[in-house]
Amino acid sequence: MEQKRKTAREIIEGYDGPKLRIMEVCGTHTHEIFRLGVRNILPENIELISGPGCPVCVTPVGFIDEAIWLAEEKGCVITTFGDLIRVPGSEKSLAGARAGGARVNPVYTPTDAVAYAEEHPDEEVVFLAVGFETTTPASCMAVKQAKEKGLKNFSILTANKTMTNAYRALKGSADAFLYPGHVNAITGADSCAALVDEGIYGVVCGFTAKEILTALAVTITRLQEGKPFFMNCYPRVVTDEGSTAGKRMIEEVMEPCDTEWRGLGVIPQSGLRLRDEYAAYDARKKFGIPEMKGRSNPACRCGDVLQGKCTPADCKVFGKGCTPLHPIGACMVSDEGTCAAWYAYKRDVIE
Amino acid sequence: MAKTVTLAHGAGGKQTSELIHEVFEAHFKNPLFTADDAAVLDIEPGKLAMSTDGFIVSPYEFPGGNVGKLSICGTVNDLACMGAQPLYLTCAFVIEEGFPMDKLEEIAAAMEKTAAEAGVRIVAGDTKVAGKGQVDGVFITTTGIGRIREGVKTGGALARPGDAVIVTGDVGRHGCTILLARNEYGIVADVDSDCAPLWGAVDSVLAAASDVHVIRDATRGGVGTVLYEIAEQSTVGIRIDAPAVPVDPAVKGVCGMLGLEPLYLACEGRLVIIVPQEDKDAVLAALRQGKYTKGAAVIGEVTAENPGKVVMTTEIGAETLLPQPGGELLPRIC
Repeated sequence: MEQKRKTAREIIEGYDGPKLRIMEVCGTHTHEIFRLGVRNILPENIELISGPGCPVCVTPVGFIDEAIWLAEEKGCVITTFGDLIRVPGSEKSLAGARAGGARVNPVYTPTDAVAYAEEHPDEEVVFLAVGFETTTPASCMAVKQAKEKGLKNFSILTANKTMTNAYRALKGSADAFLYPGHVNAITGADSCAALVDEGIYGVVCGFTAKEILTALAVTITRLQEGKPFFMNCYPRVVTDEGSTAGKRMIEEVMEPCDTEWRGLGVIPQSGLRLRDEYAAYDARKKFGIPEMKGRSNPACRCGDVLQGKCTPADCKVFGKGCTPLHPIGACMVSDEGTCAAWYAYKRDVIE
Repeated sequence: MAKTVTLAHGAGGKQTSELIHEVFEAHFKNPLFTADDAAVLDIEPGKLAMSTDGFIVSPYEFPGGNVGKLSICGTVNDLACMGAQPLYLTCAFVIEEGFPMDKLEEIAAAMEKTAAEAGVRIVAGDTKVAGKGQVDGVFITTTGIGRIREGVKTGGALARPGDAVIVTGDVGRHGCTILLARNEYGIVADVDSDCAPLWGAVDSVLAAASDVHVIRDATRGGVGTVLYEIAEQSTVGIRIDAPAVPVDPAVKGVCGMLGLEPLYLACEGRLVIIVPQEDKDAVLAALRQGKYTKGAAVIGEVTAENPGKVVMTTEIGAETLLPQPGGELLPRIC
C-alpha cells in the first residue's frame, strides 16, 4: 500500500531528531515568519535564527556618521530610503541632524533622487545607497541616469552589500540557510548551489505561508538525511541564472570591495563600490570624506542578534531604552529588523 | 476665469449672504434650515446621542467620495454606533481663499445627497474663509444629534467572553484610497473609498438581534485599533481568525508593497459589531441584505483569556499577537 505523503506542517511539527539551527537571511522572511507565527509551531529542537537580512540593520554606524558629515559640513541634501533616517549614528541619527537644520529627504527610489537633483541644480544631492542585490541595480541605474543627463550635483554614498560572502562568514552560525528569494531572483539559484562544495547548505525560500513552510520542511528533511544539499524552493520566481539584466547593470557600474557589516565586522569582497569610470558620482571621492570609526552604544547587542548569538530578549536595553519610537540599535528601526519584529509580536509572549 | 471663494465671502457682507444663498441654502434647503442664529427643533422625549467631528482629508476629493460626503457619514455613523437614529446635523466650513466655487458646489451637493440617504436634516451652518495657506482647501466640522432606540445600550465596555466579532465589509479601503490618491508612491490600483452612511445597517442589526453589545466604526486606526480599544475597555481578549478578515485583493496588494497591515488602515463605511454568539447568524443575514454591508463576515470571538490583547490565528493555524501600530500613522485621512 502506498504510504500517505506527509504535509510540510506534519514534517515540521513531527521532527524529533537532534537540535537544528536554521537561519533566515532576509528581512521580509523575518517579518513574515513572525506575522504567521511560524516559531509557535516549531518543536523545541528546531531553532530559527534571524540573520543579517535587513539592509538597514547591517549598515554600520560609521556610514550614518559619513552621511551626517556630508549634510552638516558640506551642506549636501541627503536623499535616502526613509528607514535609514532613524538609525543611530555615533552622536545622533539623520533625524537628529535634520532637527538641527540638516536637509534630509526621504525618497522611494534612487531615481527619484536623480529627478530631485535635476530640478535643484544649485543643491548638492547625495543618495544613500544601501541594500543587497535586490536594490543595488536601481542605485546603479540612478548613477547611469545622472551621467546621461550630465548632472554635476548628484552622487551616491555606497554601502551596497552582496550576500554570498556573508554566507561564508556565517557558516558556523547555523546548520542551513533559508536563502532570500528576492536576492536569488537577481543572483540566481546557481550562486547558492555552488556553496554546497564549501559545506554551506540551504534552500531558496519564497514568501507565502505555503512557501515558507515548504522550504522549512525540505530543510529539515535534508538535514536529517545528513548529506550536502541545496534546493530552489521558489522556482516560480527564481531561475538558475537569475536576472542577467540586473547582474549586468551592477557589473557595469560597480565592483566588489571589502565592507563592514554592523555586528559582523569587515567581510572581504562582500561590498560594492562605484567603478573608476563613475568616480565623479562617488560621494566619498567627490567630498573627500575623512575616515569615520563609528561608535555604537555599548549596551546594544544588535551585532550578536544578527549572528544568532542571542535573541533580542537577552539584550538589556530591548523594550526598555530601545523601542521602535526611540531605537538604540539598527535592528529596532526597520519593520524588517529582528528587534522590531520581536517588539511587535513577542513583547507579551503568548504561552 | 473660474469663480473662486474670496476673503469677501467670509466677511459677513453681501458676498457672504450670496455664498450661503447660492451654495448652501440651494443644497441644504429644508423647512428647518435656519436663517436665524440657531435652529429650533421639536424633539420627542427620550435619550439622545450627540457627536461632533472635524474633517480635513487630503486630497479633498478621492475615488468613492469627497470631504462633504465624508463629513456627513462620519457623524451619522458615530451616532449610529450608539444605536441612535441620526436626526439633525449642523456643519461649519473653513474655506481657503481661492477655493474653486464649482468644487464647493460639488461638496455641498454630496453632503445633501448623503444626508438625504441617511435620513438626517442639516439645520444650521457656518462659513468662514481663511487666507491662502492658512487652511488647505476646505475643512468641515459636523455636529449631529440622534435619538437612541428604546432599550438599546451599546458601548466599548460591553463585550463579553463568547461574543462573536463581526465586520460589516472588507477592511482598509478608505485609508488605501487616500494613500493612492496622494500619488506619492507611483502605484496605480483600482480601489475606491468605502465611505458610506450606516444608520440603515445598524437599524437592521438592532431589529435582527436580541442584544447588541458593541458597535464601533473603524475610522482612524482601522479595525485593529478598534479591537484593541474594545479589549481594553471590556477587559477581555479578542481572538481573530486572520484568513476570515475580508480584504480586497487590490488593497492586499498595495499593503504588501508598502509593508502595511490592512487591519490598521482607516475605513469610513465599516463597523465592528459584537453580539452574543446566538445572534450572530441573524445579524449576518440582516447585514448581507444591506446596500453597504453585503461583505459582512464573522472574524473572531471575544475571550476571557488574554485580557486587553488581540490574538490572531494566522493562515498556518499558529497564534500570534496582532502587533500594535507604532511610529507615524498616515496623517489627514479624514
